[in-house]
Amino acid sequence: MSSVILRNVNKSYGNLPIVKNLNLDVKDGEFVVLVGPSGCGKSTTLRMVAGLEDITQGDIQIGNKTINDLPPHKRNIAMVFQNYALYPHMSVRENIVFGLKKSGADADTIKNKLADVSEMLKLNEYLDRKPADLSGGQRQRVAMGRALARDADVYLFDEPLSNLDAKLRHHMRTEIARIQHQYNMTAIYVTHDQIEAMTLGDRVVVMRDGIVEQVGTPMDIYLQPTNTFVATFIGSPAMNLIEAKIEGEELVFDNYRLPATKIANVDMHSLRAHDSVLVGIRPDFFEDSTLSSPSDNLFEFNNIEVNLVENLGFDKEILFKLGGEDAKARLDLRSHVKRQEHISLSVDLNRVLLFDTSTQGMLLNAGEV
Amino acid sequence: MSSVLIKNESRLGLKLVAPAVGIIGLLVIYPILFNLYLSFFDVQLNGNKTFVGLDNYTQLLGNPRYYHSVGVSVIYLIGTVIGTTVLGLAAAILMNQTFRFRNLARGLILLPYFAPVISVVFGWQFIFDPVNGIYNHVVVDVLNLTNERENLIGNPDSALFVVILFDIWKHFPIAYLLFLAKLQSVPKDLYEAAAIDGQNPWGRFWHVTLPELKFVIATVVLLRVIWNLNRFEDVYLLAPNVETLPIFTYYQAFAGIVDQGAAAAISVIQLLVLVGLIWLYVRKVLKW
Repeated sequence: MSSVILRNVNKSYGNLPIVKNLNLDVKDGEFVVLVGPSGCGKSTTLRMVAGLEDITQGDIQIGNKTINDLPPHKRNIAMVFQNYALYPHMSVRENIVFGLKKSGADADTIKNKLADVSEMLKLNEYLDRKPADLSGGQRQRVAMGRALARDADVYLFDEPLSNLDAKLRHHMRTEIARIQHQYNMTAIYVTHDQIEAMTLGDRVVVMRDGIVEQVGTPMDIYLQPTNTFVATFIGSPAMNLIEAKIEGEELVFDNYRLPATKIANVDMHSLRAHDSVLVGIRPDFFEDSTLSSPSDNLFEFNNIEVNLVENLGFDKEILFKLGGEDAKARLDLRSHVKRQEHISLSVDLNRVLLFDTSTQGMLLNAGEV
Repeated sequence: MSSVLIKNESRLGLKLVAPAVGIIGLLVIYPILFNLYLSFFDVQLNGNKTFVGLDNYTQLLGNPRYYHSVGVSVIYLIGTVIGTTVLGLAAAILMNQTFRFRNLARGLILLPYFAPVISVVFGWQFIFDPVNGIYNHVVVDVLNLTNERENLIGNPDSALFVVILFDIWKHFPIAYLLFLAKLQSVPKDLYEAAAIDGQNPWGRFWHVTLPELKFVIATVVLLRVIWNLNRFEDVYLLAPNVETLPIFTYYQAFAGIVDQGAAAAISVIQLLVLVGLIWLYVRKVLKW
């Protein structure tokens, strides 16, 4: 295992910049997830670490060795591809040990690794089959096995679950997390799925248009997003953003007046410099007022008209209007709201975030200034 | 589907294949059968036939010229099949790289295949002409490799190699075309996976390209064997002194002492050998 360091890494195709001045330290044994919408440069970044794309500018180090000019077959990395890229003419067994053999492992090591990996990924009964005779989920496991069998410095994952159905994806996500902890692998994982990012990453790197928007633990990013992009990209359903006027010490929209002083650590002085502000409330932080226990930090949005109820079993998502925008709340099964009913929703003001209307950046809390 | 629909469908199928079956029957099956029939007769030019049983076959199998032509054919086959396959593969791999004017180069490579045999044959004869040919000029006058001008095409032994070279040059583009088409469909991530698994470019060729091309290579070899075992015009036009089986058959049937019965017998043996070879190849190599 090794650490991976990216220093001022740039990638462009002709004049088109794909990755802009990216800096990232992946610690030994750390699982880092690159997440962002398609075209944000996350896959390109991964492929630069793998050596499948050249680096326009900057340095990449694996284990304190700069590997910019090292071809992929000399980097000692393992990678799981989105389309698996299994060798079609080789059996599952041959696919799994192919890289291991090349690295010069002796027969005993190969045998043990194969037994380990096929046991762990439940591939025992398929070892003699060809990839064409496997289902998508089985192929995915073989691709994982081929990477895990290697004793690589870094393990790279390029959207490995995106071709699986929802149930299998969930299962494999859990498996990957388990295996990574078991082997203490240094791993970089690329996905566009924010749930994968949240559940797998020790740290998450949110990217947009070739730029890193935020790096942090999943909970940091969920609770303290640096801007509205990160705030709405991470978390499902997306965070509600409502524009509010600032009147004295109150944030005003519709008929609601939120006491700004009660919002966690807000710096009233810097707030007064603005006319308006974006109020960010995650759907998860709404509560049905009839069920919430009283607290003086709760704000109640009363007389809310429910436009739609989506029942998800334990949860239900409520669609309504807030500040003229569509907003969502996630309530649990204790709540019995119905479409077109008028209800009250409560929010813990400590959970409310404020963003600058023009820069879209989060307004710094007083505690952090 | 109801049984009526299935019946109608199969009737339509029969109607659709009927013309092809008719044409093949008339132009292929009938001549083969007639050829088989002729091989048991002594055939005169005026059409008179006398039944001779297996005489044609026993005479043929006792004729050293026949064995000589079998030997020539085997060398011709091995040389041309290996030559076109290897050269075609090399050209395809080269043309699968990205470089300027690639599309132009891809097209130019096909030229020998498009060119009419009769015109390029004369070109080749000029090249190897003992007096005016560029080959002797370069070898004798420029490079001084030997002192003697050689008539490569005039001497049947060396002519065989000229004929092989000519066939490789003329027919490698078809191998190239088939290989290139397959190469373009090899998923790029297979090469990437092999690189990640520690394979250098040679290892990637060995473990990705060759296995992916296996069936196309096998098909090319099969086609080349069929074509070249029967190849007549290239050989006859360039160097009629190179006696491959088809040329030998032609001499038996239409030149000197015309013996169509013996020629028919050669064709029958050749057909049986070819069918046997193809059967073995398809079962053992292609595993269809």
